[in-house]
Amino acid sequence: MERIKAPRTDRRNLLKGLGAGAMGVLAAGRAGAETPAQQAPHNVQEAPVGHADTAKQRVDFHGPHQAGITTPRPASGLVASFDIVVSSPDEFEEMLRQLTERARFLTQGGLVPERDPKLPPPDSGLLGPMVAPDAQTITVALGDSVFERFDWLTPLRPLHLQRMVQFPNDALETSICHGDMTIQFCANLSDTNMHAMRDIVKNLSEFLVVRWMYEGSVPPVLPAPDGSTPSARNFLGFRDGSANPDSTDAPLMDKVVWVAGPDEPEWAQGGTYQAVRIIRNFVERWDRTPLGEQERIFGRRKMSGAPLDAPQDATEQALPDYSADAEGKLTPMDAHIRLANPRTPDSDRNLMLRRPFNYSRGVTKSGQLDQGLLFISYQADLQQGFIEVQNRLNGEPLEEYIKPVGGGYFFALPGVRDDADYLGSSLITAARRL
Amino acid sequence: MVGNFLRSSALAIVLASGTAGGAFAADPSLDLVAPLAEYKIYVAENTAKLVEDTKAFTDAVKAGDVEKAKSLFAPTRTSYEKIEPIAELFSDLDVSMDARADDYEKAEEDPAFTGFHRIEYGLWEKNSTEGLAEYADRLMSDVTTLNQRITDLTFPPEVVVGGAAVLMEEVAATKISGEEDRYSRTDLWDFDANFAGAQKIYELLRPLIAENEAEFVTKVDGNFKDVADVLGKYRTPEGGFVSYEELSDADRNVLSTKVNTLAEDLSTLRGKLGLG
Repeated sequence: MERIKAPRTDRRNLLKGLGAGAMGVLAAGRAGAETPAQQAPHNVQEAPVGHADTAKQRVDFHGPHQAGITTPRPASGLVASFDIVVSSPDEFEEMLRQLTERARFLTQGGLVPERDPKLPPPDSGLLGPMVAPDAQTITVALGDSVFERFDWLTPLRPLHLQRMVQFPNDALETSICHGDMTIQFCANLSDTNMHAMRDIVKNLSEFLVVRWMYEGSVPPVLPAPDGSTPSARNFLGFRDGSANPDSTDAPLMDKVVWVAGPDEPEWAQGGTYQAVRIIRNFVERWDRTPLGEQERIFGRRKMSGAPLDAPQDATEQALPDYSADAEGKLTPMDAHIRLANPRTPDSDRNLMLRRPFNYSRGVTKSGQLDQGLLFISYQADLQQGFIEVQNRLNGEPLEEYIKPVGGGYFFALPGVRDDADYLGSSLITAARRL
Repeated sequence: MVGNFLRSSALAIVLASGTAGGAFAADPSLDLVAPLAEYKIYVAENTAKLVEDTKAFTDAVKAGDVEKAKSLFAPTRTSYEKIEPIAELFSDLDVSMDARADDYEKAEEDPAFTGFHRIEYGLWEKNSTEGLAEYADRLMSDVTTLNQRITDLTFPPEVVVGGAAVLMEEVAATKISGEEDRYSRTDLWDFDANFAGAQKIYELLRPLIAENEAEFVTKVDGNFKDVADVLGKYRTPEGGFVSYEELSDADRNVLSTKVNTLAEDLSTLRGKLGLG
């Protein structure tokens, strides 16, 4: 199990395990950082220069698992929650088939069909006549309410799927909680996500009502001198994800992320639990907090991301050794990373794969910035994963600076095998057998 | 996959232009003469009714009879909400008669806020007719002007045909949320009238497309019926509707999907009829 603890090491290692599409995504961060300086636009009205290499990055849509989960995270993410309006398994299947068809096109790209100009165009046109894949992934997950409301699905509810309940520090707002289904859109450019969202809203209006939507981004990071890519920073200025399990390690992902085994319904094998949390950050207050206190709250150094017990020149990849600091003299016992992952033999089963984005939505009534973390995690066991970890975090000093206000728990469907398959086919088949 | 797209889109263009050129006269507006004439009669009947009902409503307001005025508010609006698809043809009066508080910077306190919703605000929020007489007079005058104007008003085909979709669009954008009749919670009366008004246009045009667009017609018919079924659940024995607050989340979602799908589908009516 040593591998679980080892954070991502070097970049070359990371690339080995990936398909061509995923490699492209990783290459994107660098190209994105270098090209604009070389090709500065000349004129005010000229569009910012796009990047042909990142635009053509294509992530496979088909596979045993959905993309957008262990796929390297591109710069832009969007999570939309929907209510589903169907009255029978047939209608549910029709919705899923249409959704699959749109997702297949949007992730793989292609020409937008032309239509008689007397009719509204079939596409928003946001990306022009040729939709570039741009590393687009579309990941679909179902909420507990679907299994609650449709009695033909109730017996098929994944073991741990439940309605998110309020944790002590939460101040949940009904309008941004729960939902029958989430769609997570990820792409290099936020415009690509918005194009996909609008496509789905337009084409599936018959079945879907948008409940809430959050957009976020990840600041691209220049590669470190040793070739490794450091973790991105959240809006509190700290590196987020240093201790994430290695998403290129397939056996590890089978253990941490993908649902398998006899406890879960047969149809759900290969899916995963998705926890979404909209966590507001009180950034003004945070920015007025002494650096030393910020670092003790997280348990890491702000600039390097190194754990507090590591040597001064250590990187975020250094592993903390809590057994040598049993009284919390170096890393406080209630530091965020120590509570979240105490690194005991037992705590391995609480691992999850985090894939968050930073969001910014204007200002609050008090004139404070409405910013925070669109937290997204994937885990094979929701109870042992997100819920258990959050329970350990209850009461942490960081709570003074953050306020979870929305989100929900969902079950990301197994992958779509091939052109003939569709999202959720195993669920529909199982529902028909009942 | 891309190849398939090209083939199917080329086919779509041929089919679409074939339909436009073949099934209808070269000038599509010729086919529309009869339905438009009939629609104009429908509008005129409704504005005549609006004058009659508004008279009774504003009389009650001016007489200081709060309860009677409240009871007449929703039914009076019905004939106006039915002709809303073509409200853009008399937008000056529409603003004066039917604007909402949030169309104005100072909201309810804004002196420019007049019409039905200003009176609704007084009746329900203040439970009084105090200060409403001037709004009642103005509303009566606007309604009378509207009725007089209809006779000479030209009904451009694209506005009428497009109006059905535009109204569904508006319901989806600013009515399903329950913000139209926010003081009286009589939104379901308006919904019913809006759907009836949009459906009227569709029914008049339906014969022109029924043959070539059988699938489309079946789908739109089904969606109008589904809406009617949902609204039917909330009718009162007296012929009105219960408060908007009693609409369940599930039914609001059904209405939301239907109205969006109707907006999506009806937005193709202009094109299907060969109007640019």
